[in-house]
Amino acid sequence: MARRFDEDLDLASERPDAERDGGRGAANDFPDADRSADRDRGDDLDGPDPDLSFGAKPVRVPLAVAFVAAVAGCFFAGTSTADFVAHLDRQVHALHCSVVPGAKAQIGESGCRAVMLSPYSSWFRESYWGGIPVALWALAVFAFLAYRLGHLTWRGQPRRSEAGFLVAATLLPVLMSGIYGYLAYAQVGAICTVCAGIYVTSGLTFLGSLAALLMIERSPTPDVHAVRRFGVGVAEGCGFVFALSLVYLAWLPDAGGERGPAGCGALVQPEDEAGIMVDVARVPGGKPTIEVLDPLCPACRAFDARLTASGLDVKLDQRAVLFPLDSSCNWMVTDSLHPGACAVSEAMLCASPAQAKVILGWAFANQEALLAEAKADEPKLRARLKSQFPEVAGCLGTPVAKNKVVKSLRWAVANALPVMTPQLFVDGTRLCDEDTDLGLDYTLTRMLQGGAR
Amino acid sequence: MNDVARRGILAVPALLAPLMMVGGWLGHAEQRLKANDPSAAEAEVAIASVSEDAYCTPKLKSIVRRVAGACGLLGGGGRGCQPMQAKSVAQLSDEDFNALFVPLEQRAQIIQFDADQTEMDGAARAAVEKAWADQRGASFFFVVARASPDGKTEYNEKLSADRAQTVLSHLQTRFNDPDIARQVGLLWLGEGFAQLGEEFCGWQRSRGTECTVKDINRSAFVAWIDCAI
Repeated sequence: MARRFDEDLDLASERPDAERDGGRGAANDFPDADRSADRDRGDDLDGPDPDLSFGAKPVRVPLAVAFVAAVAGCFFAGTSTADFVAHLDRQVHALHCSVVPGAKAQIGESGCRAVMLSPYSSWFRESYWGGIPVALWALAVFAFLAYRLGHLTWRGQPRRSEAGFLVAATLLPVLMSGIYGYLAYAQVGAICTVCAGIYVTSGLTFLGSLAALLMIERSPTPDVHAVRRFGVGVAEGCGFVFALSLVYLAWLPDAGGERGPAGCGALVQPEDEAGIMVDVARVPGGKPTIEVLDPLCPACRAFDARLTASGLDVKLDQRAVLFPLDSSCNWMVTDSLHPGACAVSEAMLCASPAQAKVILGWAFANQEALLAEAKADEPKLRARLKSQFPEVAGCLGTPVAKNKVVKSLRWAVANALPVMTPQLFVDGTRLCDEDTDLGLDYTLTRMLQGGAR
Repeated sequence: MNDVARRGILAVPALLAPLMMVGGWLGHAEQRLKANDPSAAEAEVAIASVSEDAYCTPKLKSIVRRVAGACGLLGGGGRGCQPMQAKSVAQLSDEDFNALFVPLEQRAQIIQFDADQTEMDGAARAAVEKAWADQRGASFFFVVARASPDGKTEYNEKLSADRAQTVLSHLQTRFNDPDIARQVGLLWLGEGFAQLGEEFCGWQRSRGTECTVKDINRSAFVAWIDCAI
């Protein structure tokens, strides 16, 4: 036999048994209890459904599950936001990258770091250094959902329209989780475990809300305030997002100087006398840029991806100087940070301008495999390069090719560059290291507007 | 409890907690940002530079500087080098002169010539190219040409000078590199100074054939010198 819904409510215990049996009609026989119920409802718009026509199911259970999931979502989104915000000091920090609450932060490479540094982790990067992290909005949405779910769990007696709103509201994080999960997998190629926590909790808040909705039977009388109630919910949700965004932008750290747009040093001998510069993406009329890169450097690949994602690459007339961090040709490094980089650099310098760009793309796309192959057997990598790009086979490994790599390295010597990659020079001015990841869009935009000297 | 009160009790902390946390994180980030000196971190990164190997003794550097200066290699002149007599440049005994180059065993190539000849064979040309391509961080490429003691002294002096010039000409033809005029120093020794001993037959030579003292001195010793001058 089905129970009345009141049995699930705290307030039911405050009422006489007769009210449980009689609903609103029965309450009329107990004026005091009726007044008490009115006080609980507060008003017609937000109070529990007086018809109680949704049957007697433990609707609080899925609501409580969704509430706990929303609180957990706050935790994950908060962790991700805190990690992002920590990097606004332009330094490298450890990241939390575990679904286990309280797990220690890690300083090394991780899926979380790859995702955080990807162009998808924040919005409005051109306007604000680092942009506004998506995790901040996730935190706002989860906080709002926790408040709404907590309220309905506490009060009980949710109307269908209230549960319906929650389903709609929880669809937003589910939708965003789907999009961001796809981007992480397909575009960034990394899984962020804290983000996975957000995806899972998004799903649980949605499922809990949906289960609650399905447990509430339709009221025979139309809910005349449903639309208004939905509008208030949307306004509250937007208010949470707006408030957090406002606080974020108001307190966004300011470096206090214009070091970023002014750059960090300049080329003293930018000329390419030895013909060692490689065309990356020539744009007639674009700002002349020179990128110092290593074709087997993961940071260079990530930088290239960020630059492309920023959309600013179309304003740059890009050439590159190869600086392989491989001790087999580079005397400035004692260990081969990127074994095989000398061989790939030779191939690029042997190739035609168009072909060099193809080789760079191929090296970026197959970086891990090429590094592993070169580490085990460098001649095997050279053989692979020859078979993959037959047009450079006659040149690869020759003194002329090796000499070009040396000239490329000596260009860096002539300009007294730091031994590191990547480095970007915009019209001869060096983009500061701290602006090559989260601050790239912001700083580069300003350098292109004339900040570069 | 009134429903509005319930909502307020939940909404206020739900909104304030993240606001305060985010505000706190941002405040800490700003404090660290202002306390950091990015230029200090930059100072710890190595700067690209030419090589300065341990074998660069003051004596070797002195010779390199004299040859480089006489050839106009210093100061960005790059007017190109004419072969110079090593004896007048080095001002050292035979043994001391050769001892300076001993640490270059892994860097050097000994380019061998036929008797009374200045032309290089294919293997000799390849060896010169290999040596040139192996510049790495070195700043100067030295060609030190000799002749065996057969024949007249004056003839052998010219023969060794021509051998040095042959190596330079080949580099110019093969690489068409403006740095050749800035980085190549030429020395000739003829037959009377710093002849190579038989132990040099064990070095990297352009010919894998039998090697005598005469063979090894019908040669040009080529090597990059990893000294910053």
